[in-house]
Amino acid sequence: MLARYSVRELVHRPLRTILALLGVAVATAMLVDMLMLAGGIQRSFAELLSARGYELRISPKGTLPFDTEATIPNFASLMDTLAATNGVAGVGPVLASAVILAHGDGAAPSDLSVRAIALGIDPTEQGLFRLIDGEDPVENEVLLDQPTAEAFGVALGDMVEMRVAGGLDVAGRSAQMRVSGIGEFLYAARGDVPIAVPLEELQLLTGKLDRVSFAMIRVAEDAEAEAVRTELAGAARVEVVTLAGIVAQANERLSYFRQLALILGSVSLIVTSLLVGTIMAVSVSERLGTIAALRAIGISRRSIVGSLTAESLILCALAGAAGLGLGVIVAEYLETILSDFPGLPLAVEFFVLRPESLATAYVLLLAVGSVAGLVPAWRATQLEVATLLHAEEP
Amino acid sequence: MTDTVGSVNLEADSDRTIVTASDVVREYRMSGVPVRALRGVSLSVAEREFIAVMGPSGSGKSTLLHLLGGVDVATSGRVVFLGQDFGRMSVEARARLRLRKVGLVFQRFHLLPMLTALENVELPIAALGVRRAERRDRAASLLARVGLDDRLGHRPGELSGGQRQRVAIARALANEPAVLLADEPTGELDRATSHGVLELFQRLNSEGTTIVVATHDPELAAGASRHVEVVDGRIGS
Ligand SMILES: Nc1ncnc2c1ncn2[C@@H]1O[C@H](COP(=O)(O)OP(=O)(O)OP(=O)(O)O)[C@@H](O)[C@H]1O
Ligand SMILES: [Mg+2]
Repeated sequence: MLARYSVRELVHRPLRTILALLGVAVATAMLVDMLMLAGGIQRSFAELLSARGYELRISPKGTLPFDTEATIPNFASLMDTLAATNGVAGVGPVLASAVILAHGDGAAPSDLSVRAIALGIDPTEQGLFRLIDGEDPVENEVLLDQPTAEAFGVALGDMVEMRVAGGLDVAGRSAQMRVSGIGEFLYAARGDVPIAVPLEELQLLTGKLDRVSFAMIRVAEDAEAEAVRTELAGAARVEVVTLAGIVAQANERLSYFRQLALILGSVSLIVTSLLVGTIMAVSVSERLGTIAALRAIGISRRSIVGSLTAESLILCALAGAAGLGLGVIVAEYLETILSDFPGLPLAVEFFVLRPESLATAYVLLLAVGSVAGLVPAWRATQLEVATLLHAEEP
Repeated sequence: MTDTVGSVNLEADSDRTIVTASDVVREYRMSGVPVRALRGVSLSVAEREFIAVMGPSGSGKSTLLHLLGGVDVATSGRVVFLGQDFGRMSVEARARLRLRKVGLVFQRFHLLPMLTALENVELPIAALGVRRAERRDRAASLLARVGLDDRLGHRPGELSGGQRQRVAIARALANEPAVLLADEPTGELDRATSHGVLELFQRLNSEGTTIVVATHDPELAAGASRHVEVVDGRIGS
C-alpha cells in the first residue's frame, strides 16, 4: 500500500526524480569505474606476465626491464651456464632491434615503410607472441601482427623488406623476408609495430653477434623460481628477476592508482548519499503535514519510515542499474585513452569488468541510498504529532 | 432491575464512557516560554454522544481534542480512554490504540494526494494487516455510506472540498472507531457543503457513532446534542 504510494510520489515529481536519477547514475558509474580500476589493473598485469609460463627473465646488468638498447654479450657461454643450472627447463633468448619494415620499392602508392621493432627469437622457446595463423618464422621469414599485415596489405607468403635502422656501421643493411605467419604480440604497446624473425638472422643483420637483449626462462615444475633465480644471479653477470617479483614491483607502483581509485570511489559514494539525502530531506519536509496526519491516524513510525526509505531505495535501485551500464561504457572509453599510455603493453587492461565490482558497487549504493533516505524520514517521525498538526492548521 | 433484559442492555450501552479527561493541563513551550493551552479541564464523553466543543480562537479546542484522542498527552491530569490511561502508554502503543479506536478528521483533510479515494480509506485498514480484497470491500462500502460510491477511483485533487472531507470521514470510520474526533471539519468549506457534513454527522450519530467536534461554525454546533465551551484553557459554563 505505502510502497505503491512511494512509486507514485516519485512519478508525480518527474523533473526532480529524473535529475536525482541522473545524479545517482553518474555517481554510480564513477564508483563502478573506480572499483574496476582498483581491482582490474593488477590482475590483468599478473595474468599477462604469467601467460606463457616463463617465470624468470634475465637482462643485462643495470638496465630497466623493457630497455631495448642494452644487450648481454657472449650469450653462447651464458647458455652453457644456464644449461648447467638446476631447475632451468628452457631458455628463450630475445634480441630486440629497431628496424624499418617496407613493402615494395616505393613506386606504387600502396607502398609503405614504417619503424618496427624486430624481435629475434628461437621459435621453439618464446613467450612473446601467440601464433594466430601460418607458421613460426624460420630462415628468411618474418611473423607480423594482424594490424601490420593489414596495413601493408600482405598475406602469408608475400615478401617484405626489413632494414636496420640504428648503428652507423650497419644502418641501411636490409633483407627480403617472406611472411610466414600472423601472431598476437603480448607485450606490444599501442602504436608499436612488432615483428618476429629468427634470432641468428637478426644478430647477423644488426651485427650483434652472440648478443641478446634478454631471455625468458622456463623453470622446471619441481623447482622454485626464487631458488633458481638466486643460483643464476650468483653464476652469471646478469640481472635475474622472477615474474612474481615484477608483478610485485608493478603492484607497488600501481598501488597509487588503487588508492586514487578508492578515494574517488568513496567520494562518489559520499556525493550519492548527500544527493539522495538532500532530495529526501526536501520531499519529507514538503510532506510533514501528511506525515503528521498519518501518525495521528495511528500509522506506525516503522511503516512511515519504511515507505519513505522505499522511495530512496527505488530511486537508487533504478539509477544504480543505469549507473552500472554507464560505468561499463565509460570504462571502455577510458580504457582506450589509457592504453595509449606510452610503453605499456596493450594487453594490460586498466578496467577489468568483474561481476564482483558491479555487485559491490550496487550493494554499496543501495546501502548508502537507504541510509540517506532513512535519516530524514526517521527524524520527521521523531517530531511530536500534535506540534506538527498545530503547525499545519491555519 | 424490573426492566426487560433488552432495555437494561440499551441503558448500559448508552451510559458507557468512551473517554474521560480529569483536570488536564497542557503546557507547551514556545521558544522557552511556557504557554498553557489547557488549565485544568475535565470532560467525559459517553457512547453515542454528539458533542460540539466551541470557544474563541486559541482557547484550546484543538488541544483538548488531541488529548481526548491520545494524539498528545497531558502535562498533568489524566485522560483515560476505554479504561487505558494515555499518560502511561508509549508513543507507539497510543498510535496502535488510535488506529483501532479513534477516528480523526482534520480541517485540511490531510488525504494522501497520490492515492485514490478508495486507497485513502483502505490505508488504516491495511495498517491492521487486513487482506486486500476485504479492505477494498470495506473501504468501498464506507465511501458509499458517505455518499461517494461514484468517486472511488478519484484522487483528492479531482474532488471538491466537501467530497474530500467525506473521504476523510470515511477514512476516520475505517476501523470502526469508538469515537470520531473532528477538528474544524467545515473550516475550509462553504455553507452548503458544511450543511452536508453536518447532516452526515447527524446520520452517523443516529446510527451509533460517538462524535466530538471542535468548531466555530454555529450551524454545525447547533446540530450537536451537547455543547462544551472552552475559554482560555478552561471549560466555561
Ligand atoms: N503544539 C503546540 N505548540 C505550541 N503551542 C501550541 C501548540 N498547540 C497549541 N498551542 C497553543 O495553545 C493555545 C491553544 O491552541 P489550540 O490550537 O488548542 O486552540 P484552538 O482553540 O484550537 O484555536 P483555533 O480555534 O484557532 O483552532 C494557543 O495559544 C496555541 O498557540
Ligand atoms: Mg484549533
